[in-house]
Amino acid sequence: MQRIFQIDGEETDCWLGHDGSRFVLNTPTGAVACQLDPTGLPGGYTLRAKGVVRELRLVVGPEATFVHMDGRTYEVGRVDPAERLAGSDGGASDDRLVAPMPGVVVSVAVKPGDAVEEGQPLLVIESMKLETTLTAPRDGVVAEMPFAEGDSFGLKDILAQLAPEEE
Amino acid sequence: MTISKLLVANRGEIAARVLRTAKARGLATAVLRHATEQEGPAHLIADEVVTIDGPTPVAAYLDISQIVAAATKIGADAVHPGYGFLSENAAFVAALEEAGVTFVGPTSQTIDLMGDKVRARAFVEERGFPVAPSAIEDDDPASFVERARAVGYPLLIKPSAGGGGKGMRVVREDSTLETEIETARREGERYFGDGRLFVERYIERPRHIEVQVMGDGQGNVVHFWERECSIQRRFQKIIEETPSPALTPEQRDEICETAAGIARAVKYRGAGTVEFIYAQDGAFYFLEMNTRLQVEHPVTELVTGFDLVAEQLRVAAGKGLSAVQADIPQTGHSIELRICAEDATADFRPAIGDIRLLDEPQGEGVRVDSGILDGGKVTTDFDPMLSKLIVHGPDRAQAIARARNAVQNYVILGVTTNTGYLDAILAHPDFASGDVSTGFLAEQSETLTAPGEDVSDLLMAAAALSDARLVSDVMQIPEMYRKMGGWRN
Repeated sequence: MQRIFQIDGEETDCWLGHDGSRFVLNTPTGAVACQLDPTGLPGGYTLRAKGVVRELRLVVGPEATFVHMDGRTYEVGRVDPAERLAGSDGGASDDRLVAPMPGVVVSVAVKPGDAVEEGQPLLVIESMKLETTLTAPRDGVVAEMPFAEGDSFGLKDILAQLAPEEE
Repeated sequence: MTISKLLVANRGEIAARVLRTAKARGLATAVLRHATEQEGPAHLIADEVVTIDGPTPVAAYLDISQIVAAATKIGADAVHPGYGFLSENAAFVAALEEAGVTFVGPTSQTIDLMGDKVRARAFVEERGFPVAPSAIEDDDPASFVERARAVGYPLLIKPSAGGGGKGMRVVREDSTLETEIETARREGERYFGDGRLFVERYIERPRHIEVQVMGDGQGNVVHFWERECSIQRRFQKIIEETPSPALTPEQRDEICETAAGIARAVKYRGAGTVEFIYAQDGAFYFLEMNTRLQVEHPVTELVTGFDLVAEQLRVAAGKGLSAVQADIPQTGHSIELRICAEDATADFRPAIGDIRLLDEPQGEGVRVDSGILDGGKVTTDFDPMLSKLIVHGPDRAQAIARARNAVQNYVILGVTTNTGYLDAILAHPDFASGDVSTGFLAEQSETLTAPGEDVSDLLMAAAALSDARLVSDVMQIPEMYRKMGGWRN
């Protein structure tokens, strides 16, 4: 069965199988025979894989698995390949300004239809009690400014949209 | 005067920490809780929990009349404000006084004076204590830009009424001075309702060194030595320690005596902190005075052996200071790490989530002041700091080793935290040698967030095998096909 895992922003396509006696995780770089056994501790497991044995603590969150291993905490994002296909919208990433964190719009400098140059201020937001000026990622024409002054927005909301570039 | 019942007008780790001391001293205790707030350690310690409400949880903790009414209603004879929220609000102190409730802290006059950076600075300068070159807008608004230029670059713009780094802007080039002044003014107006500004020379590679003081309100002041807090992100501290590795014994005495002198000049009452900016050449300048207990006070407690909350309660009850200067030692070395729900690899973006597993480190020389419980929820309603890990060791190297061991064994799973980032700072050679400045984290950001050894195969194996649905799906495939292990099916 297929899973996409995301570690430090990097995605890896994997396939988990079982050869009759043990699990095998197939990754783009090879097959990893692996075994995970609970210990007595809450969330405690012993992992055997690639010829090593590791004591770890882990919990399975809704979107990511959190693993504490060798004194470090890691987050392994789990992507369901089926959802991935449904979620793609094909827009070029440099057409949009996506909110890096939740916040409030302080002021809006442009309106749809305006021609803008790379680096030109589009709007000022306030997040974490700091003001940040968001600028145009490239030259282009403003297609949409979904938020007005004083509006609140959430993480990953689209704050500005440029019209697609004409080739 | 005695205090028999204490209301802690705060939340999180500091409420729990204050309540522990109050309880140990035999006081009846109460703490606040917003209706939508998660249960925390403080609610389990306090004898009584008073529910407050407001349009937002933070607004409730800032609601002076509601909190004063709560104190009166439950018969509290004193209120401890913790830090943040109303801890440096003169109107709150005045309202409590009017209601006949003791405020555990300085007078409203002291708070007013030190809360206004411009007045505080002028007060300190007039009495012969060192301050950095500066220009104050209020002196003559028409010539402010000109006078700011005369201070020289780089310079730092600050809101007069500010604190905590909010609204502060560093300007390195004359061409951006005027736009940065306007931005800082807007931020000042929004956060503090006050757009007045001042600028001062920005000291390159400065260190942040502060001194813990305690006064009886009659002019007697002792200091509890310094803390170094140069490890900051976004102008906010995340690692603090004492003693400072930068100071010689002579410099230490000089800076600590200067701080005590400033506190004496205002006949300071209670616990306070005088903050200094410390230049690479050894010069130091008054930055501000915080008229409350600081987040990082535990490092001072671990090297001096004093319980600063107990001292605060003693002074508030009119019993004076418990020690003279010669009785206050500085033994060994202490380091505090602020454990925050944030993503250090994404510009310290605050993280939210459920705490699904919590296992805090223990052991010799390890103290955890925690504001969270296993099973709790981390939201954006409050500050992202979850808890503080404080260690003590015989010397700095051993304290660092102890801190690394403890933070590596701090298990918080279910929400992104900065434990790995804190460990990377402790492991950095410049931190080990003590060669840091307040710009350290920004300068070293790539090194500090660099991925470690690639263990992704192990992590993916763990994530796959702990995914119950995946494992069950695999086991339901007929054995023959399972064995084929059809990668690229």
